[in-house]
Amino acid sequence: MSANADLAEDAILDAVNGGLIVLDQDARILRWNAWMAFASGHPVASVLGKPLTGVFPDLDLRRLTTAVRAALASGASTVISRTLNPAPLPLRTRSGRTLLHDITVSPVGERSGAACLIFVTDVTMATRREKYLRDQQNARYDAIVENAPDVILSIDSGGLIQMANSAAVSQFGYAMGDLIGKSSSLLFDTAGDWSSMLQAVINDAISFRSCELIAVRKDGSLSYVEASASRWNIGSQGFATVILRDVNERRAVDAALRCSEALARNAAIALADLNQTLEQRVDERTAQLMKAEEALRQSQKMEAIGQLTGGIAHDFNNLLQGITGALHVIQKRISGGRIGDIDRFAAGALESANRAASLTHRLLAFSRQQPIDPRPVNVNQLIASIEELLRRTIGETLQMTVMSADDLWLVRCDANQLENAILNLAINARDAMPDGGTLLFETANAVLDTGQARSREVKQGEYVRLVVTDTGTGMPPEIQARIFEPFFTTKPIGKGTGLGLSMIYGFVRQSEGSVRVDSKTGKGTSIEICLPRYRGDLEVHAEEVAGRERRAGSDEVVLVVEDEPMVRVLVVEVLKDLGYYALEAETGTAAIRILRSSQRIDLLVTDLGLPDIGGRLVAEAGIATRQNLNVLFMTGYAEKAAGSAFLDGGMEMITKPFSMDELAARIREMIERN
Amino acid sequence: MTSAFSISLSELELDALTELVNLGVSGAALSLREMVHEEVVLSVPKVAVVTREQAIATLGEQESKRLVAVQQDFAGDISGRALLIFPETKSMELVRAVVGGNLSLEDIAELEQEALAETGNVLLNGCLGTIANNLQRSLRISLPEVIYGDGAEFFAAIPSRESGYSVLFIHINFAVRNRDIRGYIAMLLDIPSQLALKDLIGAFIERTTGQVYVPSSNVG
Repeated sequence: MSANADLAEDAILDAVNGGLIVLDQDARILRWNAWMAFASGHPVASVLGKPLTGVFPDLDLRRLTTAVRAALASGASTVISRTLNPAPLPLRTRSGRTLLHDITVSPVGERSGAACLIFVTDVTMATRREKYLRDQQNARYDAIVENAPDVILSIDSGGLIQMANSAAVSQFGYAMGDLIGKSSSLLFDTAGDWSSMLQAVINDAISFRSCELIAVRKDGSLSYVEASASRWNIGSQGFATVILRDVNERRAVDAALRCSEALARNAAIALADLNQTLEQRVDERTAQLMKAEEALRQSQKMEAIGQLTGGIAHDFNNLLQGITGALHVIQKRISGGRIGDIDRFAAGALESANRAASLTHRLLAFSRQQPIDPRPVNVNQLIASIEELLRRTIGETLQMTVMSADDLWLVRCDANQLENAILNLAINARDAMPDGGTLLFETANAVLDTGQARSREVKQGEYVRLVVTDTGTGMPPEIQARIFEPFFTTKPIGKGTGLGLSMIYGFVRQSEGSVRVDSKTGKGTSIEICLPRYRGDLEVHAEEVAGRERRAGSDEVVLVVEDEPMVRVLVVEVLKDLGYYALEAETGTAAIRILRSSQRIDLLVTDLGLPDIGGRLVAEAGIATRQNLNVLFMTGYAEKAAGSAFLDGGMEMITKPFSMDELAARIREMIERN
Repeated sequence: MTSAFSISLSELELDALTELVNLGVSGAALSLREMVHEEVVLSVPKVAVVTREQAIATLGEQESKRLVAVQQDFAGDISGRALLIFPETKSMELVRAVVGGNLSLEDIAELEQEALAETGNVLLNGCLGTIANNLQRSLRISLPEVIYGDGAEFFAAIPSRESGYSVLFIHINFAVRNRDIRGYIAMLLDIPSQLALKDLIGAFIERTTGQVYVPSSNVG
């Protein structure tokens, strides 16, 4: 090697902008360029031939020494970077600052072991620039990340934590150094959920928002967090930044809310149950109440029936007493031959029997099964005919006024029942006015319009209105509502049967009319009866017949059909008295046989209730062969016959019990009409 | 098929090779310890010589696709390429293990290339150097380079060498600062280098045991 060459080589080495050290096979300094001399402060003359430890006696040069040995022994090249080896050599910049540097150590020559080259690169500028940029970035970054109340973690694709903020330290209880590099799945109780979420974020770049996870703190306690995550890259490496928000408080509030909601829900359910139970109980109680009411009503009815039958039995006994007593006297007088004043006793017996008949009428009217005998009636005349009786009934302490309308229309009803009704009302009024007062009877024509008719439950049209008003005690609504019920009475036991008003109701409804009550406690009571107008003439003769007795012709033939022998004998006796010829039949069959014969028959008098064939069928069989046959039905109990529709032309009805005079009058009337 | 060609090592030869690798790795561990001032434990659970295809398949099966490697070429009596291979996901971890401290992710990312290169450099130098020293052969070993890719890219044939390569495949566990990172050291060897290696192993056995070692066959 020439001096020129040496000079040239040294000059080249000195011109390199970097440190160059060449060591010989014994690791002694062979070359030391100007850059090295300047940066280290050791002139070349002072270092040549020395080992590195001789130049830098205070330094730990093991790393460099190893690299030199490797280069010399095995030809290996080594990198010693500032990254892992801060300031391997004590070098200074021109301005006197620490010179940051990287070192490479390489073998020199074809054969290893001859020499090695140490090359030092100045990275001060680059490092400073990087640091400046990074610090600037970090300042902004830290302002956000370090001050964030939420945990922020950066996690690499292996699931390891690469960055954590201070909130992570306080949240999880780990020191920063323990967190970094830790497997992030160790932070979660729901590690499976966490891992799949993380995989989705890093591998598939799916961002997550608001996924709830359960985190585990260092002390083992659990913490609810809401995680959101997104992916980012450094170079080719994928990372996830995860933000964990503490939702424990929110969950506690939610839980409290859910708890109170659940309580409310349970309360609502309980309430619903209670309601249902309550409804059920109400239903049960109502049923019990209804049952009790029904039982009460039944027992009241039984009590009332008891009262009634007791009263009736009493009345009947009295009447029977009168009848049997009179008959006994008559019998004794006849056997004794003293028949002089026998009529008086016979009359007494008859009166008792008539009163008994009246009683049964009332009972039947109550049961609404009384066959009514409707005839045209002038209500004014009817009231006038019983006015005297009414006055006597109500007594002298009460004033009685009758206001009769002029030109009052006729009605068609059973006059006896109307009389009874008026009497009943008068008696009730009297009882309602123990301290005196006024009883007013009013009659008037009335045309009921649709509304008025509907409120009375009758057809619209023309009616005769009878109103009976007292100035008595009146009735409260609850009593008004019940006054038409059978047996309902406000009177003491024994003073009334409770049948009066219900009997009136039955009669009026049967006559297609109405009855209404208007009453106020302390203000008196007003009862209105409306009966439909009858367009026809008054049958004056019906009234007259009863009293008179006329003997008829002797060739008329009357067929009497009656299974009760006593009644049959009586009827036949009446007919004979009237001068008619009587045929008798005990059964319907026998009667039909006679009716189909050529025997003259002017009138058929038949019981409706025959044991074999009903009276009605007998009559029809008769009319089939004798078109003009007149028929008089006798009945004591005729529910089905109660309406007038039952009766065709030429048919009439007489209700048991009837007086012999009455029967005679009806028979005569029918035969003579023919 | 040249690519499927590989030397066949007897059990004894493989044991000797494993021993050599262990020596090299423990040397490297010492160097790393000097570097990081922490206990560094390196262990070699398995050494195998496989074809390039087998090596690629092994990496493909056992690791994620993205890998990072520190690569150094060597030339001399044996020539080839040495690689320290980690899953890419572990590279940060490796850097953090070596660097220590509470560096930010950005700092780590910035240091990653250099730190990986230097760490790989220490390990590979340790292995290659120890092998070379024990085989009493000199090599020239290049400076390290960090590369990313998959097994197929790492083991692509070195263009200047036409003949088939085998891979000396070394499983390696790397433990420092309570972190345990698994990786591989792979040495791509061309056929002459494989034959030379086999001879050198034989010589090593003879020196170590003091007996003449006659290998059963050169090539399998």
